[in-house]
Amino acid sequence: MIELRGVSKQFGDRIALDTLTLTVGAGEIVALVGPNGAGKSTTLRILAGGLHPDRGSAVIAGRDVITDPLRARLRLGYLPQRLGVPLSAVVGDLAALVAAARGLPPGAGVRALSDYGLADRLDATLGEMSGGQRQRAMLALATLGPLEALVLDEPSISLDVDGADDVRDAMRAAKRAGVAVLFASHHLSDVALLADRIVVMVAGKLVACGTLEELAATTGVAWDNRVADAPIERMYRILVRGRSALQDAA
Amino acid sequence: MTRRALLRFDWAAARRGRLVPLFAVGFALASVGVALAGLSAGGAVLVQGFARTSISLLQLTLWTVPLLSLLLGAVSGVECTELEFLTALPLPRAHIVVSRWGAWTLALSAALITGFGAAGLVIGILAGSADVGRYLALIGVAMLLASAGLAVGLWIGIAARGRARAVGFAVVAWFVLVVGADLVAIALLSVLPAHTATWSLVVLLTANPVDSARALGLGLFQANVVAGPSGAALQRLLGGPGAALVLAGLIAWTVVPLRIAGRRFARQDL
Repeated sequence: MIELRGVSKQFGDRIALDTLTLTVGAGEIVALVGPNGAGKSTTLRILAGGLHPDRGSAVIAGRDVITDPLRARLRLGYLPQRLGVPLSAVVGDLAALVAAARGLPPGAGVRALSDYGLADRLDATLGEMSGGQRQRAMLALATLGPLEALVLDEPSISLDVDGADDVRDAMRAAKRAGVAVLFASHHLSDVALLADRIVVMVAGKLVACGTLEELAATTGVAWDNRVADAPIERMYRILVRGRSALQDAA
Repeated sequence: MTRRALLRFDWAAARRGRLVPLFAVGFALASVGVALAGLSAGGAVLVQGFARTSISLLQLTLWTVPLLSLLLGAVSGVECTELEFLTALPLPRAHIVVSRWGAWTLALSAALITGFGAAGLVIGILAGSADVGRYLALIGVAMLLASAGLAVGLWIGIAARGRARAVGFAVVAWFVLVVGADLVAIALLSVLPAHTATWSLVVLLTANPVDSARALGLGLFQANVVAGPSGAALQRLLGGPGAALVLAGLIAWTVVPLRIAGRRFARQDL
């Protein structure tokens, strides 16, 4: 389970996150959407321990990420937007490190990489791999081990169709395993496809939260889920820019 | 197990860097050159022994090792702040800093052993093995200096937030440690009463890792001969507890900055 209670973060004069409260239950996938600077990455980086909140608390599997960071991160998988590891890192060594850190046998990391078709790249550095292979390797290692929370920041950005499928499969597998999954994405089709709930953020604030049906009702967008895909882009624009801005544009 | 995996991970990355092997080759060539460049009183070229080569190599070490170690440490420190994936693992952040220091210290030490070793082989074969123990001790001093430079560099890199700033601060630190601190020491010693100068000198030596390494290096090889009256005074000073204090000071230049860097990294936002 992932819990954020009244979390705020400020960078200089800019409020990046304004008293955000959010819970992601076990086996639930929640998507964070919003324009650049909405606070999505800030939220995820606070959960991963990269940023310290100014106020509020962030809890993973019952452990506070500030007061009990090691135990909180023991069952957390995190895939940052940037690589977050030197390009000179050897994939096999990184796999061994992730396995050791999570208390798993050394072979666990190698097996995870093999599952993603990377068994022959163990001696390669991340810099020697293609962008897609690199992202697959990082996804394999981020999801390694018995996790209780999985946090992904733009996981399918710059991936080809197969790579994006891998990401979706990994998230669905995590959900089936009872992991609380929180991800940020600009790919609204992915969000509509995967998320049990969608959180819309603007300027550090949560402006809407709910299932597709609930957001459709909130925005007044007509949608019959039996006959059509969700008009998520229309809902998004209304929630982010407001209905009047959308009408002006039309 | 985690610490070993972390060190292996950092070591694999460190040994793939190009700068350290280049330094090893350059230092080896310079060392062999110094060993071969001796002239006899009659003008004939001869291979210098370990003692004379060491004194020449000491100066080379005091200029190049702090520069390289500070720069490597600073860049490595900046990289620490970019390791979002690693810092999300259940690893204390201080361990990440210590592991990076350990890996680069190993890499630089290997480069120094290669450099000194190449000259040592030439000297051993052509000029005999007299003073080889002191030569080995000098390699140890150079390693301690590299270790201190890396620790200070890591601190700078973590605090500086940005590669260009970190490199700039590292170069300034190098200039201060190699040149600036000596000017301050000369000025201070000239105004201090004579009877306090001895311990003031020890304190000043301890306050600068480069001076500590210089004093220990000279102390290994009859400083009174190679550095005249000031060298003799230094040798008298280092004959007592002064040497242990200077050595402890040099080690402290690794431990204290590393601890500060680890604590700062643990607290700061990435």
